[in-house]
Amino acid sequence: MNFKELLNKGANFCFKLVFLLCLLIGSQLHAQNTTVEGTVTDAAGLSLPGVNVLEKGTKNGTSTDFDGHYKLKLTNPKAVLSFSFIGFKTIDVSAAGKTKVNATLTEDSNNLNEVVVIGYGTSKKSDLTGAVSTISGNDLKKVPVANVAEALTGRIAGVQVTAAEGSPDADIRIRVRGGGSLTQDASPLIIVDGFPINSMNDISSSDIDSMTVLKDAASTAIYGSRGANGVILITTKKGKDGKIAVNFNMFYGMKTMAKQIDVLSPDDYTKWQYEYALLSQTGTKVASDPSSYTKYFGNWQDQDMYKGLKGDNWQKQIFGRTGEVQSRDLGIRGGTDKLNYNFNYAHYDEKAIMIGSNYKRNNLSLALKSKLNDKIDVGFTVRYSDTEIDGGGVNEQNEKSSADSRMRTIVGYAPLPVAGLSSDDVSGDGSDILVNPLRAVYDNERQQFRKNFNMLGSFGWEIAENLKLNVDLGLDNFNNLDYRYYGLTTYYIANAPLGPLQGMPAMIMGDSKERRFRNANTLNYDFKKIMGENHHLTALLGQESINYNSNTVTTTIHGYPKFFDFDKAKTLTTQGTPQSVDNYYSPDDKLLSFFGRANYDYKNRYILSATFRADGSSKFLEQNRWGYFPAFAAGWKISEESFLKNTSWINLLKVRASYGEAGNNNIPVGQQVQIFQSTATTWINGVTSIWAPSKTMPNPDLKWETTVTQNFGLDFGFFKNRLSGNFDVYKNITSDLLINFPVPGSGYDFQYRNMGETQNTGFEATINVVAIEKAKYGLNFSFNMGINKNRINSLGVMNNFGAATGWASSQIGDDYLIQVGSSLGTMYGYKNDGRYEVSDFDYVGGKYVLKSGVISTATTLVGDGSALKPGDMKLKDVNGDGKVDLSDKTVIGNVNPKSSGGFVINGNAYGFDLMAAFNWSIGNDVYNADKIEFSTANASAQYKNLNSTMADGKRWTNLDPATGQLVTDPAALTALNANTTMWSPYMRTAIFTDWAVEDASFLRLNTLTLGYTAPEMFTSKLGVSKLRFYLTASNVFVWTNYSGSDPEVSTRRKNPLTPGVDSSPYPRSRQMVFGMNLNF
Amino acid sequence: MKHKIIIAGLIISGLFSSCQQFEDDYLDSPAQSTLDAALIFSTPGLAKGAIDGIKVPFAETNSYRGRFLPYYGLNTDTEWYNTSQTAGDKADLCVYDAKPGNTEMNTTNNAYSMMFSGIERANVCIKGIRQYGNPTPGSEMGQLLGEALTLRAIYYADLIKAWGDVPARFEPITSETLYLPKTSRDILYKQLIADLGEASTLVAWPNATAYTNTVEHVNKAFVKGFRARLALVASGFQQYPDGVRRSNDPELSVANMYALALKESREVIQSGSARLESTFEGLWRKYNEENTTAGGESLWELPFADGRGRMLFTFAVKHTAASDQFQANGANRGGVAGPLPTVFYDYDQVDARRDVTCVPYKYGAATNNIAKQELGTLDTWYFGKYRYEWMKRYVTSTNDDGVNKMYMRYAEVLLIAAETANELEGPGAAMPYLKEIRRRSFPAASQAVKVDAYVNALTSKEAMFNALVTENKYEFTGEMERKQNLIRWNLLKAKLDEAKVKMAALSARTGEYADVPTTLYYKFKTDNVSIDIYGLNRGENVNPGATYTAVTWTWTGTTADAKVNSLYKAGVNPDNRQFWPIWQVFIDGSNGQLKNDYGY
Repeated sequence: MNFKELLNKGANFCFKLVFLLCLLIGSQLHAQNTTVEGTVTDAAGLSLPGVNVLEKGTKNGTSTDFDGHYKLKLTNPKAVLSFSFIGFKTIDVSAAGKTKVNATLTEDSNNLNEVVVIGYGTSKKSDLTGAVSTISGNDLKKVPVANVAEALTGRIAGVQVTAAEGSPDADIRIRVRGGGSLTQDASPLIIVDGFPINSMNDISSSDIDSMTVLKDAASTAIYGSRGANGVILITTKKGKDGKIAVNFNMFYGMKTMAKQIDVLSPDDYTKWQYEYALLSQTGTKVASDPSSYTKYFGNWQDQDMYKGLKGDNWQKQIFGRTGEVQSRDLGIRGGTDKLNYNFNYAHYDEKAIMIGSNYKRNNLSLALKSKLNDKIDVGFTVRYSDTEIDGGGVNEQNEKSSADSRMRTIVGYAPLPVAGLSSDDVSGDGSDILVNPLRAVYDNERQQFRKNFNMLGSFGWEIAENLKLNVDLGLDNFNNLDYRYYGLTTYYIANAPLGPLQGMPAMIMGDSKERRFRNANTLNYDFKKIMGENHHLTALLGQESINYNSNTVTTTIHGYPKFFDFDKAKTLTTQGTPQSVDNYYSPDDKLLSFFGRANYDYKNRYILSATFRADGSSKFLEQNRWGYFPAFAAGWKISEESFLKNTSWINLLKVRASYGEAGNNNIPVGQQVQIFQSTATTWINGVTSIWAPSKTMPNPDLKWETTVTQNFGLDFGFFKNRLSGNFDVYKNITSDLLINFPVPGSGYDFQYRNMGETQNTGFEATINVVAIEKAKYGLNFSFNMGINKNRINSLGVMNNFGAATGWASSQIGDDYLIQVGSSLGTMYGYKNDGRYEVSDFDYVGGKYVLKSGVISTATTLVGDGSALKPGDMKLKDVNGDGKVDLSDKTVIGNVNPKSSGGFVINGNAYGFDLMAAFNWSIGNDVYNADKIEFSTANASAQYKNLNSTMADGKRWTNLDPATGQLVTDPAALTALNANTTMWSPYMRTAIFTDWAVEDASFLRLNTLTLGYTAPEMFTSKLGVSKLRFYLTASNVFVWTNYSGSDPEVSTRRKNPLTPGVDSSPYPRSRQMVFGMNLNF
Repeated sequence: MKHKIIIAGLIISGLFSSCQQFEDDYLDSPAQSTLDAALIFSTPGLAKGAIDGIKVPFAETNSYRGRFLPYYGLNTDTEWYNTSQTAGDKADLCVYDAKPGNTEMNTTNNAYSMMFSGIERANVCIKGIRQYGNPTPGSEMGQLLGEALTLRAIYYADLIKAWGDVPARFEPITSETLYLPKTSRDILYKQLIADLGEASTLVAWPNATAYTNTVEHVNKAFVKGFRARLALVASGFQQYPDGVRRSNDPELSVANMYALALKESREVIQSGSARLESTFEGLWRKYNEENTTAGGESLWELPFADGRGRMLFTFAVKHTAASDQFQANGANRGGVAGPLPTVFYDYDQVDARRDVTCVPYKYGAATNNIAKQELGTLDTWYFGKYRYEWMKRYVTSTNDDGVNKMYMRYAEVLLIAAETANELEGPGAAMPYLKEIRRRSFPAASQAVKVDAYVNALTSKEAMFNALVTENKYEFTGEMERKQNLIRWNLLKAKLDEAKVKMAALSARTGEYADVPTTLYYKFKTDNVSIDIYGLNRGENVNPGATYTAVTWTWTGTTADAKVNSLYKAGVNPDNRQFWPIWQVFIDGSNGQLKNDYGY
């Protein structure tokens, strides 16, 4: 079915429905015979809007208005009225002979009857046999953030949510139970209303009704191929029967930078520059006042003019602006049992803390649902989102050179203006030796526009009694337009363009279009008629197909006039020289599946479920195309047994066990056969494009990666469910890992392969405590934690291989190790042993000679490249061979936390509500690359500033401040460094030692909200059903020993093998938001 | 009921259509932005793009561009890494002390893997053109197949040159051949020599077709010359895992291979399709001007584009300023390696090659973007064959200069002919070739003595051989050809030791360097940029006057000794370190198939 047809059908259909709606309203106006009216309140006497009121045994019904008032014409004067409302117990009241029937609903404390969305259906929470967690839209609403994924932080046991850095569009890394894949993305499958999407970025939190996380294979196997890393199901809000209800929410907030890197003061900076200049002399050396220093800073005896100067704070200049966030959303929902609707509009606008960094998003959605008759219902949903992201951030994953990471320029920039070296403002001619940070930001401008248009149609038909057919059709269009500008100071323009165009601005524009079409057909049958009272069996059969195709037009333009800035380059493209236009069509990604599920319970005590799915994927060749994913689960509700049934304090006690297999095909399309790619090149004379096989070697034997999950869980609810929760233990084994495997020396760079096995074992706990539950006040806690242990069981043909983060170009080499028996994210480097002291050397003939017995370190690793001398960093001789060299590299850190989790405190009293959400992580390490970067002054680091770990008095020094000369005499050198503790920053190369591996355990108060709901007597006069004001602070505090800007960081994430690196991150911000919720 | 029928109909038709789709291999999803091998290799316009693809790995970051060309060929008795005395991974590569973990080289994107990437692309092309292209001699497809065979041989020859035995890959890789052990280089040589034999029947002579009127495309003169070079290397001395020796393979005997080399080199000479440029300086000016017209001396060049390649960046006469009137290639470009200090003084004073090859000055700091020549020190010379000053283009890249690598030139063909003729036919047969080389190098007035008398006196085979060894040095210093030649003559250590003795003599001004002046005098010429130097020639010992500035031109003491001795690492025998080790990442990535021989 093509798009146009679908649109026509949709429009046609809507028109008919609106017409029908008018008719229905009209008929209501004419019915005025035996009428009953009344007010519905809760136990506390507050009126309840939206309560369904139904004349029992008929379809005649209505719902209460915002004052809780209803009016209903009865068809039978002896009717019984049934009042029902979600979260409350349904009551029946006889209306015989009455004209006024008031009702009081009591809250249904057994929230275990809550219905949970699971794959291709729903289940009662108490009937679940798999490991499933949910979070409601109401909880999300209390966390005002741009990205819904962030709101999950610390909320669900076993689900780790980490923002890679502080930018408004930062990647949010979600890992369910550690994630099984090695080099492939271990992100969970995200499904919105049945439709798989790439990122949660485009969904507005106000549009979300609930989120469900499926954690074990028993739950995910119904998603077969793609469920191995967990599944997150997002259900958007649907229309609700009842009168029109309008929600309006807004907030406004401010953000500030949370933490910055301390740098040297101008005094200390110049002192260090003087020492650097002395040390770095080549050729004819002078004893004092080397020209590379005096050229910019004057003579040493005048250095005291820098004392006491306050330096420019460049981090503050770049990240110091007060960010602003604004959000408004409007939801309108209502309808009748024939037709209901939900309309939602949300606008989010953020001015981030970094100059030039903005984020804007509009979301629009409309969901319509209609019951055409007893048997047939149809639904139609349209969602549109439009996002604009401005600013190039601080680093990027597809960077042309790590030299362009902005933090590098910002922290290393001279703290004072020096003619020819640095300046306070953006100098236009670029003649300064150091690149002005503002200029670096402008020269790396970027703008992205994302548009997502999604349409879903559904059709349900009860073909026969208890047999229901559901047909879902969906179409998703995603468009991403990405402008990346390279200004005069970037590595790219100095090197990538052809000779004549070098040194002139360039722009790369990517315009990608993705289309996805999905059709799923399911048949549900409930065997309740056939099997008798005690047996309950339901079955589901289904078929699904998903077709995804995409193309990207990448336009590269070089050689703009030198004065062109981003805006001009974007709009005046003909002023540049087109380098290449590449319209790349990816092979289609198709999936065809058949699946089934059966749920059986006996006397609501013993629950069995089985699922099976067969998936065929176009990513594999015919012989490996189909993957089969079975799963079984069993539960035993002990609390339903006769021996416990009367134990009043136990409301639920259930054990459950599951076994299942799920798959993963998360590799790029087209890996199974060799293809020739046409690529533009600027490297060979007279050649503008070449044909060559992909650099990734094809592998015709690729097949599904499979995860086998075993899960054992316990659910409980005690004391009227005031204490509830669950515990789970699990073991996931992922085999036939799809690995992007390096094949150096073969002629190709990588090959996708199935090899190796990983294992995740763990424990999860969730505990909810309702401590106080009174009409006017209440207090509850919820706590969750997850302990996951990741282990690489096998790597196929080899035992280990290394991975390099490359943040320091090629200086460091492999700094992560992927090794059998250890876990993913194992850091690999040297052990730091402080520094060489004067006493380690004999002073012979004007030279320092290492004493015998002192471990020597290869000069390719530490020091300035010449012979070892006092003040050089010292490394540990790990293998005990008496010297330190490459063979002394060892495991020095692990990014995986021992445990992580969160807790949330909710309290309310007399209209006030308070929510505090914490999250924590224990035992994870972070690779603080920035700490190395800014404490190492190598050959290219002259005139660059250092961080305060290398402040005067801490760093090793050879400089006698009195004479302005280098000290070589052993006694004098010892005295000079009597109080210093660090090695000399003057080093040939950066080196990764355990000094830069820091324990990044933390406790963060992520969100703190204080709200006040205006009393009803006040609001009802305004015709408002609810009015709440609130104040929310985000990232309130982080309690950690980590010395970098934030312990939750991962900037070298293009390669999944190198998580947890803190190199040039966008700093985190602290946010304070004031907001309002208004319902009427 | 009506609804039911309509809906049921829809569903049934839906299921039917999905089944039909399924039957039509619904799950096959062919690549779209691609073309079939059959189409590419049957269409010359497309196949050319695939041939160009073979050349891209030359230019990859850590391939020929940034790692292989800057380091391979150092140090010899004429060329050295200018900071050989500074211990470190870079110097290690030149002083015969490289280790598998060398940080310059031990990366997966290093030259070693890029060469195999080029080989794989060549293999795919060769297979494709043979299968679909109908390559016949003289046809466009024939030329392309010949070019692919030749490019593959270039990659392989350089692999063997730097690493000795390596795996043999002459077919596109499959899962079965992904991991291979080393193959004896004898087998590789035979394949390459056969491939080049085939290629020489397929490609055109220089300027015979429009395609071969640039030396950036492979031509018959180059294929034959290169084949001759390989024949000498294959039969020459070299380090095998069991020691330094000639090949035991009878096919690669001196008799066979020298005959082949002589035949090929003579055919090039007789073809008249290439020639010596009329002057030595003219040759190098043409090179730096990026004149790639075929038919001259250059036979084939690595075709780096304007913004890629590091020949001048690495080897040029040094420029201190980040930008001056000649270049904007960044600070301290060029001068990474240079001639040994003795080389200049070993040349005959009137040999035109001397001043082109050895340059004692660099360009200093720039004032108003104008840099002037500055005398350096006696221990640091620069290769004058590479000069930004001679370029027509102004380099603006901060990392690349874009000048080609001249891979082989006609003078080498002449010297190969001379060497093989001397071996097989006696010195008389070699004389005309050597005379041709020397005639270009000396002014007309000196030719009777320096060319004719000099060559005519080489009447024994041995005298001729030794003269050719010396001529090779005068002709090729700075082209990094020397190392492989010394190896095949089994003279590597002997000549390096000799060079050390000579440098010590220069330092002490004894022996053959006793009359080298210890003071230089210079003044700026009228252009106020270049300098006029007095004192470089032996015997120039009289102060030329007050217009000149004096500079001490000595090189003594412990630092001089240390630098002399750094020509190769103390304690290492260069003859046992003829090759670099295969870098650790490739050993690790070889699934246990690769190991390092040669005592590493």
